[in-house]
Amino acid sequence: MATEPGGRHRVVTATAAVGILLLTVPLAVTDDYYLHVLIATLYFAYMASAWNIVCGYTGQLSLGHSALSGIGGYISTLLLINAGLSPWIGMFVGALWATVVGVLVGWPCFRLRGPYFALTTIAFAEILRIWTENTEEIFGIELRGAQGLSVPLKGHVPTLFQFDGKVPYYYIILAMLVAVMAITWWMERSRMGFYLKAIRADQDGAEALGVNSARYLLSAMAVSSFLTALGGSFYAQYFRYINPERNMGLDFSIELALMGIVGGQGTVVGPILGAFLLTPAGEITRATLGGKFPGLHIVIYGLVLILAMLFLPKGLIQPLRRLVARRPAASGAVAPQTKA
Amino acid sequence: MDLIILGVAVVNGIVLGGLYGAIAIGLSLIFGVMRVINFAHGSFLMIGLFIPYWFWQLFKINPYVSILVAAPALFALGYGVQAILIAPLYKRERAMVLEPISALMLTAGVGLIMDNLTFMAFGPDFRGVTIEFASKAFWIGEFLNINYTRFLAFLASLGLTVLLSLFLVRTDLGRAIRSTAQNRDAAALCGINVMRIYNVTFGMGCAVLGVVGCVMIPFYPVSPSIGLAFGVRSFITVVLGGIGSIPGCILGGLVLGVVESVAAQFVTATSASIFSFVIFILVLFFRPTGLLGMKV
Repeated sequence: MATEPGGRHRVVTATAAVGILLLTVPLAVTDDYYLHVLIATLYFAYMASAWNIVCGYTGQLSLGHSALSGIGGYISTLLLINAGLSPWIGMFVGALWATVVGVLVGWPCFRLRGPYFALTTIAFAEILRIWTENTEEIFGIELRGAQGLSVPLKGHVPTLFQFDGKVPYYYIILAMLVAVMAITWWMERSRMGFYLKAIRADQDGAEALGVNSARYLLSAMAVSSFLTALGGSFYAQYFRYINPERNMGLDFSIELALMGIVGGQGTVVGPILGAFLLTPAGEITRATLGGKFPGLHIVIYGLVLILAMLFLPKGLIQPLRRLVARRPAASGAVAPQTKA
Repeated sequence: MDLIILGVAVVNGIVLGGLYGAIAIGLSLIFGVMRVINFAHGSFLMIGLFIPYWFWQLFKINPYVSILVAAPALFALGYGVQAILIAPLYKRERAMVLEPISALMLTAGVGLIMDNLTFMAFGPDFRGVTIEFASKAFWIGEFLNINYTRFLAFLASLGLTVLLSLFLVRTDLGRAIRSTAQNRDAAALCGINVMRIYNVTFGMGCAVLGVVGCVMIPFYPVSPSIGLAFGVRSFITVVLGGIGSIPGCILGGLVLGVVESVAAQFVTATSASIFSFVIFILVLFFRPTGLLGMKV
């Protein structure tokens, strides 16, 4: 990540430009559908970034993150339905529970590596999904199984996370995305970030040098679980509907991993790039050709994933970063060749 | 619990479990030799089910005859996927550390494409084949009846396992595959074309699914969405039995089949698979080499 001063300058300028663009977009885009595509894109960017905190930086592929999102969404929704608790509070309650689950599951799982870790996360997530799908009620609380839960409409009450129109949701998810970027950025530069990278490169080596790998892996897992569950709550409140298949299913986990990997895992911007490429492409394909070719957008996802694995194993961020690193030569500065 | 019902459940589980085992053989073989988790495994099975379905639907060809087409077709498909898509990863990895995750995600992409192209072509419906003796069954004792097509599938599964094991032990190609699994570089030094062995192994792992699909379609309707569930079930089977062990696969499949079938007597059929996942996790934590596993 050693970008020379010229490169950093450009990165800051670009970030500011994109930031201003994103802040003003809802002023220009008034069409509900396009606004929805934007919200979905930001939501996936946020979720892929949250996934990235543990998976991108530690190199352990989790395909169970959908369960954490489901925990968040279900808890905030259930608290609203049964206790009238505002999702603004409920989402943090859900996130805390997801953190507990994430750490408890992660603790034994991190002893496994590579595909074993990935398969075990699938197993845990599937257990939760199947259980939820087959549970109508528990302790007198209605879960409604595979049908899912609808969030009751209480009118446009901002304190209950219910707004008039889509614009407020846009700014909420944008703020969440900025927060997750800041956390990732800060983590990358902290001691923990360096430890995580060391663990990713060579776990035994890092441990031999005295890195307590379990502690740092679990810390990353805790942060990632917390953020993923917040995203799950956002999804439930935005769509006012949540069901086990869509919010806890394996497909959703694969989608998150796909965006992180295609964009570039283990970087701040990578997963966001992935989401910005894939989500609009998917949404628009679904809207225009979905009637004739249902599933076409997933074929496109699959193709992009294969191409990325074959030609850009470090993600889309790789060529972009090279671009940033090379251009200073034109302005006279001698750019040291940084390894992407 | 009624002992008779329990007995019937166990027998049904064994019959089904043999099939699970045969489905998982390909996954185990591919992982044992190449260290690649084929995430598209279930999708290959889905194709293997659709081939006999269409041959029956269009030309009225008996599914058991379709094996002659389905097995070579799946072999070619698997061979192609490995030679065109996965092989470049290996060539790149040679200098670097092995990254099994990239192969896993790559095959996940292949699976997504296969599932959704099939979905676009044929729609979401479940499609089955009804052959004459599909509904016939024979009785063991007074209470236990076994459907002929299921029993045939069970026998075919056992037969496949035995054939494949013999092939790996007795033939030159089989020995080459096993030696590649043991040590890629040493095998290459002995004059084995490792990449070709990988292609053939992947093709064989998929060809098994062509056979299984043909014996399965008479009692198991197919839809484009069944892939992932069967893929995950195969991972469980392989881990249970011990990765890379062919007889372990059948054992893992039998355990899984019996657990699912017996559990379905106590809870709803859809939640019975929770127990398989629990067993999977327990095995990974406490006996990661599986029931019959050893280092490949």
